[in-house]
Amino acid sequence: MDEMIPNEEHERALTRELDAWLAGDHSRRHVLAALLGIGAGAAMLPATAGAANRAGFLGRQQGQLLEQAAVELASPDTPLGKAQADAVTASTKTPTDGSAYRAVAAAKGKYNNVSLALTYEAGLQALEPRNFSGPLWQQLTGMNFSVVELAHPDLYSKAITEHIAGSGAYDVLDIEPAWIPSLANGGVIAPVDEYVKKYMNEADLNDYHPLFKYLPLYKGKRWGFFDDGDQLELYYRTDVFGDPKLKSAYEAKYKQPYRVPTTWDEYSQVAQFITDQLAPNVYGAVHFRKFGSPGNQYAFCQQFRVNGGVFFDAKTMQAQLATPAGITTLTQMIAANKASVPGNDDLDAVAAWVAWLTGKSAMLFSWPPTGRMSENYSQRSKAINFVPASKIVGKVGYAVMPGKYGEMASGFVKAISADSRNPEAAYLFAQWQSSPPVSLVRVMLPYTLRDPYRISHYTSPIYRSLWPSAKDYLLNLANAANFGITDLIMPGWQDYALTLDRMCTAVWAGKNPKAALEQADSEWNATTRKIGVDAQRAAYQEFLKGVGCYPDHTVDAMGQAVHLT
Amino acid sequence: MSGGIGAHGLAGQGARQEGRSPLATWSERHIKWLLVAPAIVLILAITVYPLGYSVWVAFVNFDFLIPGHAFVGLGNFAAVLGDPVALHSVVVTAIFTVADVGLEFALGLALALALEKTFRGRGVLMAIFVVPLFIAPVIVGQFWSLLLQRPFGPMDYILSVILRHPVTISWLTEFPWDFIGIILADVWQWTSFILVILLAGLAGIPAELHEAAAIDGAGGWQNFRFITLPQLVPMILLAVTFRLLGAVNLFDTIFMMTGGGPGTSTYTAAYYLYQTGFQQFHLSQATAGSWLFLILVSVAIFLLVRRLLKVEEA
Repeated sequence: MDEMIPNEEHERALTRELDAWLAGDHSRRHVLAALLGIGAGAAMLPATAGAANRAGFLGRQQGQLLEQAAVELASPDTPLGKAQADAVTASTKTPTDGSAYRAVAAAKGKYNNVSLALTYEAGLQALEPRNFSGPLWQQLTGMNFSVVELAHPDLYSKAITEHIAGSGAYDVLDIEPAWIPSLANGGVIAPVDEYVKKYMNEADLNDYHPLFKYLPLYKGKRWGFFDDGDQLELYYRTDVFGDPKLKSAYEAKYKQPYRVPTTWDEYSQVAQFITDQLAPNVYGAVHFRKFGSPGNQYAFCQQFRVNGGVFFDAKTMQAQLATPAGITTLTQMIAANKASVPGNDDLDAVAAWVAWLTGKSAMLFSWPPTGRMSENYSQRSKAINFVPASKIVGKVGYAVMPGKYGEMASGFVKAISADSRNPEAAYLFAQWQSSPPVSLVRVMLPYTLRDPYRISHYTSPIYRSLWPSAKDYLLNLANAANFGITDLIMPGWQDYALTLDRMCTAVWAGKNPKAALEQADSEWNATTRKIGVDAQRAAYQEFLKGVGCYPDHTVDAMGQAVHLT
Repeated sequence: MSGGIGAHGLAGQGARQEGRSPLATWSERHIKWLLVAPAIVLILAITVYPLGYSVWVAFVNFDFLIPGHAFVGLGNFAAVLGDPVALHSVVVTAIFTVADVGLEFALGLALALALEKTFRGRGVLMAIFVVPLFIAPVIVGQFWSLLLQRPFGPMDYILSVILRHPVTISWLTEFPWDFIGIILADVWQWTSFILVILLAGLAGIPAELHEAAAIDGAGGWQNFRFITLPQLVPMILLAVTFRLLGAVNLFDTIFMMTGGGPGTSTYTAAYYLYQTGFQQFHLSQATAGSWLFLILVSVAIFLLVRRLLKVEEA
């Protein structure tokens, strides 16, 4: 009973402070300070039996927490502040059957002495749990956390290294969906189906866009929660495509309408035309083609499949890259490179953004942060000042990719490490973090690189109010996901992708496309043989059953498209 | 007298030994081994055991993507020898090693000769030359990557201004500029290593030799050819050997500047092994490759060291 009294006090104090903040009675600073005190009290409760003991311990514990935890909250009268207030309400008050509330209720008081280690891509991605979800979770549940920042490829390699060493160093892993087969087969990650059944509100599971609801599934099990809608879409300059002089010149030259391109041939043709007309002020396109940028494998995979290419012969498992589809794809990509900003082949994703934001390009296909940066929404955060202020605010339109089918390029799934010493606590954090109200905040943070993936994100009035064309941006993202095609989700994707990157960069440097494709085939076959032809055949069959494997298996083709207004 | 003392001493010693327990006697006899045992265990644990383990890994399947650790004989070695990227990486390593160390030696020697005599500003120059040695290679790679990157790096702009026409070189993605860029970075960092060693060597050459040569009418070139160079050979071999050891392991600058690309054109052996072992997790193939590479490098280094020892004996 002694334990119960402080817990109740803690809950009452928490509710009091949050209500006051939501009502605007207390400043954010006041709430933060109060929350820190309350959280510290909650964290130390199980470790303290007597009141005399408690006083001294509180000071130390509070000091540590003050160092670690600082929730960054926006003003409640801003869209972000409103979303944050909603997230806190959903975590602490209502709806009580929501996944956020359930996760907090299950974790609170049970895991006070637990510290979760979260792997995150270094830099901006890691800022989010450091500034928002990590400390807020800490305040709400008393659970500690540490963010382990890793370079993107190391999110895969370190997870494996620690698993082989059996260190149990990580609890929640940020992984690409394409890594799931390898990591699941290798015993690095654990399925979450039992926990989902126990803790999750099914409506929140159905709130995922169908493509993203599917992506964490492998061999009939769920291996985490999708958490980053990395759907490629085409961003274009409305002023360039709306220019009447360019329109008449283009139509006179090509006898075709001057429009946002809908095929890859049209894409390079329009890009070349714009470059010819407007360079050096504006070029037709810009791409991230540098080795490891990472762009080549995604760009090739999407375009190759649009051109009718298939990755393997499903029976023999011989690679099928050196085919007419492969030649056509590389030929189109070379043409697009020629029509692009000078130095195009040397650019990584950030450098391509710099060219785009400074108005040097009429088109860019990239990840969704492009839309937020284009409107200067992201740049309000100092954390993202490595890209320049946008010179194209209000001049950006959104379209699905040329060829209609765009790559769901990478993305993140929050998975639970099979070696975690606190798998349930790790799960509860992942469920809470990816729940509708909390994830909405996370995809809205200015510096975030997390992108919308839930129906409730696309339809959120708060998100739609962020800039004048935000609604169009969100609708196009949802529509692009309807036609999204996934990475090659099967064991060995790392090797296959590396080969594609090597192949493309060799071609950009002058290698003959046919020879490059043949070498890539040879490397793919070696990888397949290494892993085992039979095992890979079975894995490929699994891939072929999946949503988004090829254009005839997209969400739209399977009749599950989401049509939003 | 001394015999008497000796006899007395021995007798005393025998008496002391008689009064000791067998354990004490054993301890005294083996104490040296007991004292070095922790160091031996430590060395075994951190060097011999991993080395033995790596031999085992090279002969079994130790691949994250393939379950189990089945014995595969020489299969992993065959996989490396059959991988065109592996063979290419050895060639690239040889090219970089010869180019890097050759240029560093030539420049280092020239600078050492220039800095041999004291002059105003020599200290400042020395400090400037030595600074790159203290920078981590990964930082050097990043620094040169930013400098050479197209279109935002300043190198092309500077060249355009100097040459008075537009320069559009893709230093990091176009052959042979990618090789030149990497060599530039390595030479920038390590020339001063050769400089420092050779400067020490020059300082150790007795002045009498040069004076005698001058009396005999030897000119500058003859002085260099027949006195400086032969006297400097041990230091040259030392410096070159150390640099060769570093150059064959070239990794950081490649990692930062080109990532081995475009394609696999700038893959060195170290980068290949890293990529295979720690990015693709074909650990057994990478381990077999490491052994093959170690053997290859050992032969070259053995020949050099033998030559070095011969010079020292002479």
